[in-house]
Amino acid sequence: MLERKAKMWQKIAAAAVSFALLILIWQLAAMNPQFSQVMPGPFAVLQKFFVSFVEPIGKNVMLQHMLITLSRWAAGFIAATILGIALGLTMGWYRGFEAFMRPLFELVRPIPTLAWIPLVILWCGIGELAKYVLVFIGAFMSIVQNAYHGAKSVDRTIVNAARMLGCNDRQMFFTIVIPASVPAISAGLQIGVASAWSSVVAAELVRSSSGVGWIVVTGQQNNNMTQILVGILVIAVIGLLLALLIRRVEDVLCRWNKRGR
Amino acid sequence: MQMEQTRKIEKNIITLEHVDKEFEKVKEGGVFEVVKDLNIKVRENEFLVLFGPGQCGKTTILNMIAGFEEPTAGTIRMKGEKINGPDPSRGMVFQNLAIFPWLTVMGNVEYGLRMKGVDKKTRREKAQYYIDLVGLKGFENHYPIQISGGMKQRVGIARAYCNEPDVILMDEPFGALDAQTRYLMQDEIIRIWEAEKRTVIFVTNNIEEAVYVADRIIVIRNCPTNVKAEYEINLPRPRSYIDPDFLKLRREINNVVDHTL
Ligand SMILES: Nc1ncnc2c1ncn2[C@@H]1O[C@H](COP(=O)(O)OP(=O)(O)OP(=O)(O)O)[C@@H](O)[C@H]1O
Ligand SMILES: [Mg+2]
Repeated sequence: MLERKAKMWQKIAAAAVSFALLILIWQLAAMNPQFSQVMPGPFAVLQKFFVSFVEPIGKNVMLQHMLITLSRWAAGFIAATILGIALGLTMGWYRGFEAFMRPLFELVRPIPTLAWIPLVILWCGIGELAKYVLVFIGAFMSIVQNAYHGAKSVDRTIVNAARMLGCNDRQMFFTIVIPASVPAISAGLQIGVASAWSSVVAAELVRSSSGVGWIVVTGQQNNNMTQILVGILVIAVIGLLLALLIRRVEDVLCRWNKRGR
Repeated sequence: MQMEQTRKIEKNIITLEHVDKEFEKVKEGGVFEVVKDLNIKVRENEFLVLFGPGQCGKTTILNMIAGFEEPTAGTIRMKGEKINGPDPSRGMVFQNLAIFPWLTVMGNVEYGLRMKGVDKKTRREKAQYYIDLVGLKGFENHYPIQISGGMKQRVGIARAYCNEPDVILMDEPFGALDAQTRYLMQDEIIRIWEAEKRTVIFVTNNIEEAVYVADRIIVIRNCPTNVKAEYEINLPRPRSYIDPDFLKLRREINNVVDHTL
């Protein structure tokens, strides 16, 4: 137990050192005026970041931008989670539906989210709906794919065991197929979170008047390097936090899959 | 009553008549004969042991009786009716466990009753009875990953019994246990059988174990398998491994069984 704690601190220390080194090198480079013209130093960026919580960028302060982007992400991601799991599991479990649906899905799956943007804008306009749809597309494919494999690879003897205990077809789907697929579904959600996050930022880069992606594009349009870096920093940190959040959810859902506690 | 009289006469609960089972050879083509003209009559409430060498088709035979696999030819009947798919009247303890990893010990044992729609209080009480019977008291809320191999095997036994099948099929239920636990479990399975008096078909490839637990032993031969010899074991219970009669039977059976590498 103690040893594990010590190991954990070692890891944290190592990570802290690598961050400190990055900031140090960046700061040293930024002291060179030629470099700082194209790339402001870390402290300038951090300062701008904190100031942006009180001084608005565009119409909104930073917190509002974050919430706007997060709500777009959440709308698309939640819809993709619900529909993606439902489609993936039914496609993986019911042979007939698989034969009908899988070829179509396989055709659509490799299309990158970016390639959908023009079509989605023509269909849904440039408002919020288009952004939800793009986030949805970004997350949906990997969620479906993983849920599909989860349902497809349910252990045969587990299925036999349930049948000999008297479960009917409906109970088989809800009490065996769904829980047995939870680890695969979680893996899909991990990937889905990240791709939904990239999609929402991409959507904001293309067309928007608020959000963290918009901060980055307007930074570019105004030649404001500091603002671009602040935007990127925020995108990175929120992306990381979302991934951690989903990992927590997975830990709870899959606690039967993890040894000891 | 009339019922009483008929019950005294020995009844066959399950009959296998001229059963063949072939599997397709996926790579080479052609078929692989696992069972060839197998005839077995299983008496009601007996402890029948199917004894045969490794890979001779023991699991295949149980899978057919359970209804997971269909015979290529011949018929298997239970109480006169042709077996058609798995049914809660035939419980199975699987060679590879097949307990549900996402359910606790309690969740596994009560699963069959839950599927039947038995109310929570009744099924908990009953499941608790069988959990106590197999010696898992105190582990009700553990997940399978948190308990040992022997304990998992007991979960499988309790789960099968709790569903109150007429026939219990056990596929080398102690195969993965260390010698000490194995002896303990043999005594326990006899104790449960004496308390419950259900028909048991018990598969093993261990002679000692066969003679120790059986009312009757059917020795089956190497693939393609069928009955090679049959022994009534009339030794009084509890039995002893070093009793001269025990050893004599053991040697006799040892001489008749096929040996494989
Ligand atoms: N689904 C299948 N398809 C093809 N061959 C199979 C299949 N199931 C079993 N077999 C073959 O049938 C033979 C008997 O298998 P089975 O599992 O019934 O043996 P067993 O006596 O239970 O073996 P063990 O002692 O290892 O448990 C084996 O050679 C196996 O390769
Ligand atoms: Mg076997």
